[in-house]
Amino acid sequence: MDHIAVRTKKLSKSYTQGLYALDDISIQVDHGKVLVVMGPSGSGKSTLIRTFNGLEPFDEGEVNVLGIQIDSTYDERKIRKIRKRVGMVFQQFNLFPHLSILENITLAPIQVQKRRPIEAEEHAMHLLSQMGIATHSSKYPSQLSGGEQQRVAIARALALKPELLLFDEPTSALDPERVNEVLDVMRRLAKQGMTMVVVTHEVAFAKEVADQVLFMDAGKVIETSTPDLFFSNAQHERSRRFLNQIEKK
Amino acid sequence: MPNKIIKSGLKLLENNIRDLFSNLLSLILRLCIISAIGLTFFYIFQWLAITANWKVVSSNVPLFAFGSFPSDQRWRPSLWIISLLFLSIFTLIGPNRKWLRRILPFAWISTIPIGIYLLSGGLGLLPVASRDWGGLSLTILLTGCSFLLSLPLGILLALGRQSKLLVIKHLSSLYIDSMRAVPLIAVLFFGQLLIPLFLPLGVEVDRVWRAVLAFTLFVSAYISEDIRGGLQAIPNTQIEAAETLGLNQFQITFFVLIPQALRIALPALANQAIGLFQNTSLMAILGLVELLGVGRSLLANPEFIGRYIEVYIWLASVYWLFCTFMAILARHIEQRMAIDKPNLVP
Repeated sequence: MDHIAVRTKKLSKSYTQGLYALDDISIQVDHGKVLVVMGPSGSGKSTLIRTFNGLEPFDEGEVNVLGIQIDSTYDERKIRKIRKRVGMVFQQFNLFPHLSILENITLAPIQVQKRRPIEAEEHAMHLLSQMGIATHSSKYPSQLSGGEQQRVAIARALALKPELLLFDEPTSALDPERVNEVLDVMRRLAKQGMTMVVVTHEVAFAKEVADQVLFMDAGKVIETSTPDLFFSNAQHERSRRFLNQIEKK
Repeated sequence: MPNKIIKSGLKLLENNIRDLFSNLLSLILRLCIISAIGLTFFYIFQWLAITANWKVVSSNVPLFAFGSFPSDQRWRPSLWIISLLFLSIFTLIGPNRKWLRRILPFAWISTIPIGIYLLSGGLGLLPVASRDWGGLSLTILLTGCSFLLSLPLGILLALGRQSKLLVIKHLSSLYIDSMRAVPLIAVLFFGQLLIPLFLPLGVEVDRVWRAVLAFTLFVSAYISEDIRGGLQAIPNTQIEAAETLGLNQFQITFFVLIPQALRIALPALANQAIGLFQNTSLMAILGLVELLGVGRSLLANPEFIGRYIEVYIWLASVYWLFCTFMAILARHIEQRMAIDKPNLVP
């Protein structure tokens, strides 16, 4: 049990009767591992990882994140406990536009973890220089490029020293030439042993970093396997069709 | 063939005549308009410079500024108004130091208690009763106090209207809707005439503070709607991002929602402030001798009888000057605070 970071059991959610966003999903991610979730749009990838930190309530089954178990009753106390230990990076960055880069990163450490402002700022500057954007610390989000904003968003998530990081299509809103500066940061995090669940369409990244690839369609898990196996010899016909589609692009 | 030439010749002639007449017509029109404008300006200038007797204004400038404030204590409201002026200019220049920018809002807020202290006295200053407050200093005090008090009340009402607790939600809505359904003058009458009746015996609220209370109750309803608009313009993803960071409901509201809502609502809030500044003149008919009140009392003075136009033109210019100044200040702050614009040079 101790080695499991995330486990879901028979997780289901439907918006309208009979139309499942998540359909009986049971998966497991171990500590220090990287799970890449792939699938066509509308397949429930984002919905799945948003259930991990309570952004998305669900109807049936259970989710266990870092030993904290939540079910369909949406226990806010437990969810807040999870959120304090799980970081999340969004497709649209979702930085706070009225706060400077430094304030974006230090807000939660100071307010939630009650760390001393000086200490939080030092940690934030350390993270920013790791991301290669320390010079931007007093700028505002709108003054940064998409790739820089996404790196700030990663730094903001890391500032809380999370045990698990969730990435919801982190490079989908970026210019193609900006994608790698974000992926490089994520590669480094994976090397450092960070537990990550990443929704992405970046095949090269998945091949290189993932320990496990999960393929979803219409709310169901179609296939789970190692990246080597998945990208060379996908078992399921639906997965092969999807891979063909994204290779054409 | 010749027929064709004649035809085209005739057409040319016709066009020329038409052009000539339209030119002539527009020429005449232009002359008329120019001479009308010229004459208007001439008469206005003639009236302003020659016919008008500005003694009613020039000999009463202190009265317009301070009302019947004791003359040996007039440095107090003067000091206050001058410091407000300096603070405005300072804000317009836009200090570059970050800590200076940080304290600017607090400096603005502190002008109100400082103003109250300077006007009312006590603590080492000679106390001056509020019935002696007046003129421009009273107008500014009414505007400043009412706006400063209605801003937090407006924020609370806006949050209340969006509350998940049905009682709070409906009470806020009821308050906002009923305040907006009542004319301001009725609320002011209520404040001046009815509040004393409701208060227990022996408790007396000063006339100026009753007016501030009435303005606050009225304006906060409008401000809350402006802020609600700001709150609704914030994308839901901002709340999600804040929740993900583990911030609780109060922290999300205080650090993420309100600062953004205020920035979005800033143009509308400036509008309310300017409207409030003008609306304080309604207190002239309810017995406060603010800027308009001074004008009215001067016109009742036999020495200046019939000098309506001079007094009202003077008052209109003072109101115009201050409102324009407020608008410029607001636009400046708006540009500086705007979200999603590379506005602040680090």
